Amino acid sequence: MENKDFLKKINELTKYHYENSLKFKNIIDKIYNKNINSPSIQSVPFLPVSLFKEIELKSIPDNKIFKILNSSGTSKSKLSKIYLDKENASRQTKVLNQIVSEIIGSKRLPMILTDERKTIKDPKQFNAKTAAYLGFSLFGHDIFYLLEDGKINYEGLNSFFEKYDNKKILIFGFTSDVHERLIKQLNLNNLAKNNFDKAILIHGGGWKKMEQEKISNYEFKNVLNKKLNINSIYNYYGLIEQTGSIFFEAKCGYFTTSNFSDVIIRGKNFEVLPENKKGFVQLISTLPTSYPGHSILTEDIGEIKVIKNCKCGKKNKHFLIHGRAKDSELRGCSDV
Amino acid sequence: MSKSFDQVELLVGDKVVYTNSFSPYDPILCNFLDAFSKELNKKSTKVYPDLKSLSFWCRKKNIDRIKKNFLTNEIRAGKGLIFHIAPSNVPTNFMYSLIFGLLTGNSNIVRVPSKSFNQVKIICNLIKDLLKMKKFNSLKKNIKIVKYGNENENFTKYISSLCDVRIIWGGDKSIENIRRFPIKSRSFDLTFADRYSICLIDTDQLEKLNNLNLKLLTNKFYNDTYSFDQNACSSPHLIFWKGKKNMKAREKFWNNLKELVEKKYDLPEKATFDKFSKLCIDSTNLKNFQFQKKFGEMIYIVNLKKIDKKIEHLRGKWGYFYEHEIKDINEIKKVLSSKFQTLTYFGVKKNLLDNFAKSNLSGIDRIVPIGQALEISLVWDGYDINKTLTRVVDIK
Repeated sequence: MENKDFLKKINELTKYHYENSLKFKNIIDKIYNKNINSPSIQSVPFLPVSLFKEIELKSIPDNKIFKILNSSGTSKSKLSKIYLDKENASRQTKVLNQIVSEIIGSKRLPMILTDERKTIKDPKQFNAKTAAYLGFSLFGHDIFYLLEDGKINYEGLNSFFEKYDNKKILIFGFTSDVHERLIKQLNLNNLAKNNFDKAILIHGGGWKKMEQEKISNYEFKNVLNKKLNINSIYNYYGLIEQTGSIFFEAKCGYFTTSNFSDVIIRGKNFEVLPENKKGFVQLISTLPTSYPGHSILTEDIGEIKVIKNCKCGKKNKHFLIHGRAKDSELRGCSDV
Repeated sequence: MSKSFDQVELLVGDKVVYTNSFSPYDPILCNFLDAFSKELNKKSTKVYPDLKSLSFWCRKKNIDRIKKNFLTNEIRAGKGLIFHIAPSNVPTNFMYSLIFGLLTGNSNIVRVPSKSFNQVKIICNLIKDLLKMKKFNSLKKNIKIVKYGNENENFTKYISSLCDVRIIWGGDKSIENIRRFPIKSRSFDLTFADRYSICLIDTDQLEKLNNLNLKLLTNKFYNDTYSFDQNACSSPHLIFWKGKKNMKAREKFWNNLKELVEKKYDLPEKATFDKFSKLCIDSTNLKNFQFQKKFGEMIYIVNLKKIDKKIEHLRGKWGYFYEHEIKDINEIKKVLSSKFQTLTYFGVKKNLLDNFAKSNLSGIDRIVPIGQALEISLVWDGYDINKTLTRVVDIK
């Protein structure tokens, strides 16, 4: 999409949510001086991601709610609530499809999910993880769940590899799960044969745990490559608040924007930062219509990189994610 | 019962619990504080401005002044053993609490924050060194400083059952938590709980200030607020502008503050994010919310046309202020509750404040000029510590 068209689309969304969500209107009126038509993408109003935890933000009437997505969140914090109508949910699927098919092609692949069947089946736990599982399972068929009662199901895995001998397969999982199960737990001696070398591995999220384990993205790939001979590994970055328009790490090792998204990096005073400067990541997506989540300031710290004629061949914006902003520890005698 | 000391880090003192009192403002003690102040001043560098203020606070001159306030015709003695539970995120607060207990002639057991603060280490090491000196040796029994995590309830329980006064600093929840442990029938809790503070500025007087004096005033305001991320009980959240609107003068005040904040304040990484989030929530929840994005993200000022009871729920942090215009000081009264602690002021005449203070307020324990919000004294939170931590021996 041309920059102008993208901006036009985002301005339309701002106007739409302004007219359909009173809370969003309040924020735009009172904080953004009624700005619903920005001259540039940098001046488009944004909401802090934590707001979806604190107040109900939706641009649809209650009877149109199709499902509510919840952020995984830590036990301490509140959950964010994302209200979807049917239309928005199907647009998310469609766009995800388009982005993922660039990687795996248009055909569904036999798929391994690095988790248990019951996590996906529990309707009460409709969180970021289940949303991702459900979203990505559309790209696979004959899904094999790696775990059974918390342990790797070697018998099942053996027959899976038997059945799809020498065939291209898809593996999907949260980064920390892939690390725990494929890198740490999986014992190759228990497998008669495998075709991990034919696998495309897609992983994302769960990197808070990875930070604790102190494993870099590079090492993670390296170990998977050495141990399992997996060569096609794709890391993705995305928010539950903007499901669908996720960002894949290109071959060059950077995340890249798509036609449906843009990224802006902001400093401590929310000023727009130039490339190679670390700051808060603002994500812009053309997808959210049932809730005002088209322009969101995250608590993640990132950095834009400009690479001329990048080997990945992508012309879109390249960026890195460095983790979560440091928690602001309060001084003072209140709230101890 | 030294078993109760298991899993307790003894920073100062031994494993014996002493409950004896001594005479308030004992000369040995005053000399001890004087020595402490001098030594601390040598040790405290630019890195720890809070140690500098502590050293300044317990200098001889100030202690003598406090002592004068104590002098009465009554005969007073310390209560016995004071158990202090300090707040977890103000590194030097425990020392002020300890000094309260010492000046009034008591034995003290002080629990410091379980978080590791360098300031705590510096203070404790200094006390230890001083207590080794012969002239201060007699104070050894009266000072015990301990450190332990929340999970170690045994010690809290044990000392609670022995102490004569328990001083609890902290939020409402942590106070509730400590109160589960019984104290002796004649003992009592002195609680320094969560409070709410406000500021009153006469705009007509503000307008008359020359540039230099305005700078001095904003500097003082900065110290009252930003030095503890605006999260000290006595840091104001709500500012009352009294007088004509005088927008120009007010804007000059904020601009001065902005300059200062940009120069001096190191805003934590996530603070702007949390502040902004709060601003968005307020804009959807508050009816007469008015906000001007003039001062960037370092200072948020939300103007409220109307204010009501329960205003104390509006708490800004890291430089987030609510403001409201009034014509008469008495308009403040309608929002007051027992949660209100400090009123800092500028340009308001003493007799006006006197009459205000005498008019049966339902809140506010302290009225001090801007710049003195954080100056702790032996009258605090409405208590006269000199009296509260001592008992009268009545002779007729």
